[in-house]
Amino acid sequence: MKARFARRSVLGMIEIEHLTKRYGKKTAVDDLTFAVKPGVVTGFLGPNGAGKSTTMRAIVGLDAPTSGLARVNGKHYSEFRSPLTEVGALLEAKSVHAGRSAYKHLLALARTHGIPKRRVTEVIDLVGLHEVAGKRVGGFSLGMGQRLGIAVALLGDPAVLILDEPVNGLDPDGVKWIRLLLKGLAAEGRTVFLSSHLMSELAQTAEHLIVIGQGRLLADTTVDAFVTGSGQTRVRVVSPDAAQLAERLAGPGITVSSPERGVLEVTGTEAAVVGQTAAAHGLVLHELRTDRGSLEDAFMQLTADAVEYRQTSEGANR
Amino acid sequence: MTAAAMTDRPTAYTPPANYRLSAAGLLRSEWTKLWSLRSTWIVLLCAVVFSGGLGAIIASSVPTDQAFGGAGSAVDFSMAGISLASVFVAVLGILTVTGEYSTGSIRSTMSAAPKRLSVLWAKAAVYGAVVAVLFGAMVFLTFFMTQAIFSGTALGGVSLSDDGVLRALLGYMAMIVYLALLALGIGAILRNSAGSIGFYIGVIMILPQLATLLPWNWVSDVTPYAPGNVPNAILLVDPAGSTLSVGESWLWMGIWLVVTYGLAGVLLKRRDV
Repeated sequence: MKARFARRSVLGMIEIEHLTKRYGKKTAVDDLTFAVKPGVVTGFLGPNGAGKSTTMRAIVGLDAPTSGLARVNGKHYSEFRSPLTEVGALLEAKSVHAGRSAYKHLLALARTHGIPKRRVTEVIDLVGLHEVAGKRVGGFSLGMGQRLGIAVALLGDPAVLILDEPVNGLDPDGVKWIRLLLKGLAAEGRTVFLSSHLMSELAQTAEHLIVIGQGRLLADTTVDAFVTGSGQTRVRVVSPDAAQLAERLAGPGITVSSPERGVLEVTGTEAAVVGQTAAAHGLVLHELRTDRGSLEDAFMQLTADAVEYRQTSEGANR
Repeated sequence: MTAAAMTDRPTAYTPPANYRLSAAGLLRSEWTKLWSLRSTWIVLLCAVVFSGGLGAIIASSVPTDQAFGGAGSAVDFSMAGISLASVFVAVLGILTVTGEYSTGSIRSTMSAAPKRLSVLWAKAAVYGAVVAVLFGAMVFLTFFMTQAIFSGTALGGVSLSDDGVLRALLGYMAMIVYLALLALGIGAILRNSAGSIGFYIGVIMILPQLATLLPWNWVSDVTPYAPGNVPNAILLVDPAGSTLSVGESWLWMGIWLVVTYGLAGVLLKRRDV
């Protein structure tokens, strides 16, 4: 019994160690190392083509790493005696034969593990597909396909959930539903690892954050730390005496720029200091505001060098 | 709850312990997958209609004053439809694998069974068994039906107990199972529907026939050993004139299946899904 509990101490932990995956000459994932812990929702953030899907595919053994390891509970995925109860994965929506009904697709997967029909009906109800469960998947919308993919992931009631862009194609109600669902699953002590290329999406769901760009790890931190750490705070001032105020504010560590006439953007100090400076010199202020860097800004700043497909210029956009 | 209390992370979630991946589970899964597609029903229905219908039509149109007769010709005529049906059966065999790749359902399948090889064996076993049962029945049904049509002609009065007749009929059944399995294996190697069907029809079915027209003698020495030709001897009531003996025919069917599934297995393990 003791050995069993010892193994349980890493229950639900996803460990990626020096994972590298090349497709021909192209390196999709480059020496990536991180761990995902149970009990919280961990977001996996990166621009398109950053290697998120490849990493997730490596975790469930669909792609063999060129080098390095991807393990869950200290084991390679193929070593599990009941893979569907260990890890539930949504990798691409519609990993389903278009001619098969949602119910039969789930049933076929359930039968591999001796999962009863009762559980199949349960997950169909859970994702809200009961009305279309008997219909061929080929006619499903993207959102319905996503719901079916989530049902597949939940089928074995697994300890670890890996979801690649689960909100794609979901309507606002569906997005809200999946956020609550994932938070609830994490609260039960499960590991929830979901990817997105939208920071704003993850900020509302995830507590922890793994950020990658061009296959490399850029950040492994909490969402809060990520935002406060890399988000720049700016003070915006509108003043008829902008030029004078800029002179007075100048100092070490403080940068002042003027995006337009009468407007200043100050970094490296606080609104209170700017206000006091203005008052001390009798300068008029029309507006004084603190802009916190948005999550999206923080993400963009971090991945600026790591975006693979970047528009070279506006004109290139045909 | 006591288990949870003893770990360093008291909230750790423990997945259900009563679900297990098993060989029996994979067989049931493949069975469910096979019959939950409309194409399975359509293609197998076509195969059944062609094997019985063509046998009946050919049997009715054979002139009664045929100079030739005997058990060999009677079996050949009655089984003409079975040979054609083998094309449907082979195409469906290919689709059971390539359909998973083209639709992406292979990712779900291989996530559930990450050792992968067991999926290939389960697919082959289920499809092979379905074809064996269905065409076992069709071979004998067609034989008795055509014998009823032939009665009173030189081709009539053939009995299962006649020399070589039962063996030839079982040979037809074995041939169609062999071709079904061969096609399924080709599907697993090529993973693409159009490519696999093209390869099967072009290389397995037609090429050995065309090759005999080539001007080199060695070609005609080799063609009896081509994967699509090796079952020929077991189809004959009197195999005396055939290049391969009945035993060699079985041996070569085995060799080609081992080669095909060996390659399919190695590739399945090595390639990304």
